[in-house]
Amino acid sequence: MLRVLNIAWKDVRHVYRDIAVLVMMFAAPLALAGALGAAFGSGDNFSIAAVKTVVVDQDEGAGAGVPAAGATLTASLTGPDMADLLVVTQMDDPEAARAAVDDSEAAVAVIIPSNLSSALMSAGPGDGPAGPTADIQLYKDPALSVGPSIVAAVTESVIQSLNGARAAGATAARLGLSLGLTDTDSLSALASQAAAAYAQTAQTEPPVVLEARGPVVASAETEKRPNVASQVLVGMMLFFMLFGAATPARSVLDEHRQGTLPRLFTTPTPRSLILGGKYVAVFLVVLIQAAVLLLVGRFLMGADWGEPGPVVVLTLCSALVAASLGLVTVSFAKTPGQAGAVSSAIFVFLGLISGNFMGTANIGGTFAVVRRVSPLGWLMEGWSDLLYGGSWSNIVLPVAAAMSFTVVLFAVSTFFFRRRYA
Amino acid sequence: MDAIVVEGLRKQFDPPKGPVAVDDVSFGIREGEIFSLLGPNGAGKTTIISILSCLLRPDAGEARVGGFSVTRESDEVKRLIGVVPQEIALYEELSGRENLLFWGRMYGLNGPALNKRVDEVLDWIGLVDRQTDRLEKYSGGMKRRVNIGAALLHNPRFLYLDEPTVGIDPQSRRSILDGVKNFNAAGVTVLYTTHYMEEAQEISDRIAIMDRGAMIAVGAQDELVRLVGERTRINLALDRNADILAERWRDLAGVSTVSEPEDGRLWVLTDDANSLMPRLFDSAQTAEARITEINLAEPNLEMVFLHLTGRALRD
Ligand SMILES: Nc1ncnc2c1ncn2[C@@H]1O[C@H](COP(=O)(O)OP(=O)(O)OP(=O)(O)O)[C@@H](O)[C@H]1O
Ligand SMILES: [Mg+2]
Repeated sequence: MLRVLNIAWKDVRHVYRDIAVLVMMFAAPLALAGALGAAFGSGDNFSIAAVKTVVVDQDEGAGAGVPAAGATLTASLTGPDMADLLVVTQMDDPEAARAAVDDSEAAVAVIIPSNLSSALMSAGPGDGPAGPTADIQLYKDPALSVGPSIVAAVTESVIQSLNGARAAGATAARLGLSLGLTDTDSLSALASQAAAAYAQTAQTEPPVVLEARGPVVASAETEKRPNVASQVLVGMMLFFMLFGAATPARSVLDEHRQGTLPRLFTTPTPRSLILGGKYVAVFLVVLIQAAVLLLVGRFLMGADWGEPGPVVVLTLCSALVAASLGLVTVSFAKTPGQAGAVSSAIFVFLGLISGNFMGTANIGGTFAVVRRVSPLGWLMEGWSDLLYGGSWSNIVLPVAAAMSFTVVLFAVSTFFFRRRYA
Repeated sequence: MDAIVVEGLRKQFDPPKGPVAVDDVSFGIREGEIFSLLGPNGAGKTTIISILSCLLRPDAGEARVGGFSVTRESDEVKRLIGVVPQEIALYEELSGRENLLFWGRMYGLNGPALNKRVDEVLDWIGLVDRQTDRLEKYSGGMKRRVNIGAALLHNPRFLYLDEPTVGIDPQSRRSILDGVKNFNAAGVTVLYTTHYMEEAQEISDRIAIMDRGAMIAVGAQDELVRLVGERTRINLALDRNADILAERWRDLAGVSTVSEPEDGRLWVLTDDANSLMPRLFDSAQTAEARITEINLAEPNLEMVFLHLTGRALRD
């Protein structure tokens, strides 16, 4: 046993001394999770303070029967979906709003011009002279960036849907013309109705920012909603663990070529223990990788992985799956180069069908079934169950399924390694 | 009874078309001797070492090390042997000391005993000062020495060294050869391979000459050179008329062969150099030539190889 650990320890050290490998194992998944987490903003359990926002709605509307665009925007900003992110105060005076930002009482002021609705409702491009333009002013504290950019993102998405409404209005008007409607009054009424209808449907679909943080298949019984960074990190962690495993697994081939494996075979240490040492090395490398990534996610990205017990079990299970996949792809190969190419292709394919690149939130429907053909898919399912507040009962099936795959994979790799070396 | 016995060994790589690396080879190594396999590239030296190290299975024949079969009792054999591979087989990213510790553990050593043994070996291979440097910072000769040290940790009864001096400076080569003699003096039986005739001559008690998978001669050095007869080679350089003199010398009594002169240089094989040399000087004088250089060479393994194969050892 001591000899197994002697080999394993040497290989683990070898991996953790290679900067290029470390970048691939740690920097890549963390950077991806961090970048996407920052881009999508925070989720419910993300611990930044709500952004203090002032809204000044000066919009005079565009006539009866059409909801004022300014009111739609204000409603979006003050709506329940935004309640955790934004603390919105409404004001009447733009100067007072700007002063509030200057005095750091608010992070950002959204000043809606009086002609917003009429600008949006006027004829669209290509249909007569260009209509008037309306500028929504975002007045922000230059020292801040995250908060104001959230407000900017929300505002932009509302304006985009309203611009869509404007286009819809113009289209409806053109449609009416071709049907023989010439009465300008009824034409503009039609346009307004179409625009209003579009605006309403657009609003029932929450803007992108809101969608990203809301689970599509949220478990009904729990309130827990993981942040974006943690959802991305789970997929990236499992994906890059495969590469973490393939690196020490490939050392079997490297050592064969460099003559240290044959030399090991001249020592009294049995070949089975030597291969066993390699297996332990691969497992330890990915276990350390997973532990580090989970801890960084927990403490630097605000991830809440779930109950400690199931998390530990799932971590061990993930390390076994990654180790077996890393070893099996290497056991077929004849040269280290071949092993690298083949295993990368297999890993990317597995990552794609298992949803590792999507974040847990966007997985549902048929995809949730398809990914079960892959052990990674089962792991993704287990991890997202825990992220959404699941416990032991939720991970039993994923763990059992993933472990069945792993047993088969270990058996296959052992068969090939033994045939070649023992 | 020989300590290592090899009988009718045969090994073909990638049969049926691959090279027959070892073809019906038999020999025995006595306890306590230095036994060398001497042969050019591809002679089959490494293949024999691999079979005796339990790395390769022979197609036919049998090899026993310390009484144990290399195929059926490989565990026992591996405990008795220390193998120094032809290529350096060590971990570049570990230090010299860490390498020795690693290999010592693979031989089942542990704890203070291992540390003490590593200290001893580092002392023998002269790397105490550099022991904490990573191997990648070592010179070729230093790596060669660690390569040998790693096979000594468990006090093997048999030490195999496969061309341990290839590609290193004369100083490191000297210290390796002296080291091998010292281990041998301490009781280790040594199997040594080389394609340097001088090395084989210097350290071996007995030598096996190999060529193209076959063993063409085995014996102590003096036994082997007797194969070409008890002759001395006289090497000469002449300032003129070398062709004429070579012609005349071929008829002199006591001369067995005279080589074709090249740039005024030639050699003469004789059974009795003492009586021949004055006559060579006399006949040079009558031809108005001067002998500008002369030296005697005892017959060597190079001549044996030439005699047995018709080719030079270093092809
Ligand atoms: N793994 C192998 N596969 C196929 N052929 C091999 C293999 N190893 C050796 N050979 C062939 O077997 C023959 C003997 O090789 P071997 O390595 O035993 O020679 P050697 O005497 O050690 O030569 P050198 O002095 O170059 O080390 C050569 O013809 C070589 O090409
Ligand atoms: Mg060789």
